[in-house]
Amino acid sequence: MVLVINGPYSDSGHEDIGHPERPERMVAAMAAVDDLGLGSELVVAESYTASRAELVRVHNGNYLDELGAFCYAGGGNIDDDTYATFDSWTIATYAAGAGLKVIDELRRRDDGVGFVAARPPGHHALADRAMGFCLLNNIAVAAAELLRLGERVLIVDWDVHHGNGTQQIFWDEPDVLYVSTHQWPLFPGSGSASEVGGRHANDRTVNLPLPPGAKGDVMLRAMSEIAGPVIAEFNPTWVLVSAGFDAHRDDPMADLCLTSGDFRLMTNYVMDCAPRPGRVAFFLEGGYNLEALRSSILATLSTALGHPQEDEPPSNGGPGADHVARTRQSRLVAIEMLRHSDETETP
Amino acid sequence: MKTFRNLAVGYDGSLDSTIAVRWALRAAREVDATVTIVHATGLLEHLRARYSPDVLPPELLGLAKEYAFDESRLRWLVTNGDACSVLLRMACAPVNADALVVGSRGEGKRDGLLLGSTSLEVAEHATVPVVVVPSTYVDH
Ligand SMILES: [Zn+2]
Repeated sequence: MVLVINGPYSDSGHEDIGHPERPERMVAAMAAVDDLGLGSELVVAESYTASRAELVRVHNGNYLDELGAFCYAGGGNIDDDTYATFDSWTIATYAAGAGLKVIDELRRRDDGVGFVAARPPGHHALADRAMGFCLLNNIAVAAAELLRLGERVLIVDWDVHHGNGTQQIFWDEPDVLYVSTHQWPLFPGSGSASEVGGRHANDRTVNLPLPPGAKGDVMLRAMSEIAGPVIAEFNPTWVLVSAGFDAHRDDPMADLCLTSGDFRLMTNYVMDCAPRPGRVAFFLEGGYNLEALRSSILATLSTALGHPQEDEPPSNGGPGADHVARTRQSRLVAIEMLRHSDETETP
Repeated sequence: MKTFRNLAVGYDGSLDSTIAVRWALRAAREVDATVTIVHATGLLEHLRARYSPDVLPPELLGLAKEYAFDESRLRWLVTNGDACSVLLRMACAPVNADALVVGSRGEGKRDGLLLGSTSLEVAEHATVPVVVVPSTYVDH
C-alpha cells in the first residue's frame, strides 16, 4: 500500500482549538495504518506542495491569491465552519500535493492501493471559495492531473456530506464521473438526485441522497442499482474515493447509521470498479469520532488490500429503501430534460 | 424604477445580522414588501442546533412587533449550507427575492481581502442587488 502523508510540513499547524477538524484525526488515521500491520509492504511517501499551475486547473487564481494572503496575514474564520491559520496555506498546498504524489507512486508501481492521509479535507472547496472545513479540493486537483494524462476518472464520494465542490468543479466534464452517497437534506444543501451534470456531461453526476437513519444496506443498494450501470458504461481507468467516515453511526456530525463493516462492503464495490491494480486511491475527507474513524479506515484499507480485518458487522434495516426508486425516477427525468433542452437548442 | 416586493435577509443570531433584519423590516414595511429571514445551518451547527424551522425565534418576533410589521408577510427559513450560498439561493425559486440584505460582519475579515467576509462574498456572486447594512447603522 502506498501511504502519502502531509509532509515534510506537519499538519499540526492547521488547528483551531475545539474545532472537530483537528490534528488528532490524523493520529487516528495513522493508528489505523499501524493496525494493518503491513511491515515492508507499506510504502510511506511524503507529499510535495501542489504548484500554482496544478491548482489553477480546478481553482480560480484570484481565490488562491486571496487564500494565501489571508493565511499570511494570520488567518481567522473564513465562515462559521471554516478556519485558516498562518500555516494553513502551506499545509493545504501539501495536502493537495499529496493526491498528486499518490498518483505518481501508483503509476510508477502499477500496483498497490493509495491512501492520502492529509488534511484539511477538500470536497467542499469550490473553485473560488473555501467552505465546510475545506480550503483546496485535494481530490479534484488529483483528478485534474489524471485528466491531463488522458484518463477517465470515477470519483466515489461516500462522506456523509455531499461533495459540492467536487461536483461543481467537474459539473460539465465528460471524463469525470462523480458519484456521491450522502445524507439529505444536510449541509451543504446540494446533492439532490436531479443534479445530473452539465449539458456536456449529462449523467456524469450521480447523487444518491439518503434519509437520516439510513443504514449500509440501502446505501449499497443505491450504489449498485443506480450508480452501477452508469459506472459500467463510463468504464473508468482510475478510481478516486472521497473517503469520509462521518456516515458512521457514532459520528456526531450527521445521522446516517453505518458501521465499519459497511465501509468494507463499499470498499469491495469500488475496488471492483477499477480496471486493474494500482488504479485506486482513497482520500481522507470527514470523520470526527476518532474511534469510528480508526476502525472504519482499518476496515476500508484492509479490504482494499484483500485481507479484510475483523470489524463491526454491516448494518441493515434502516429507512430509505423507497428513496432508491425515487432517486432513479428523479434522475431519469432530469437526464431527459437536459437532453431535450440540448436538442432544442442545437440548430 | 420598480420597487422591491420581496427581501431576503440572512440571520445568524449575531448583533450585525440583527441590525440587518431591523433595516429589512423597516424598509419592507414602507413599500409593503415581504421579508424572508433565512438562517443557514452550517456543518458545525449539527452539533448544536440553535433554530427550529418551525418556530420564529422570539427575538425576531419581538422585532416584528416593534416595527408593527405584518406577520403574514414575514417568512422564517432554516436551510442547510454556508451563509453565503444560502443567501444567494434566496434570489432563485421558490423564494425569488429581488434584493438580499446582509450584515457587514466578517470575523476573519482583513482589509482589502474578500475572504472571511460573507457580505463581500454575497455581493460578488449575487444576481440581484445586495444591501450591506453596517454594524454602526442606527434606526431613526
Ligand atoms: Zn463530511
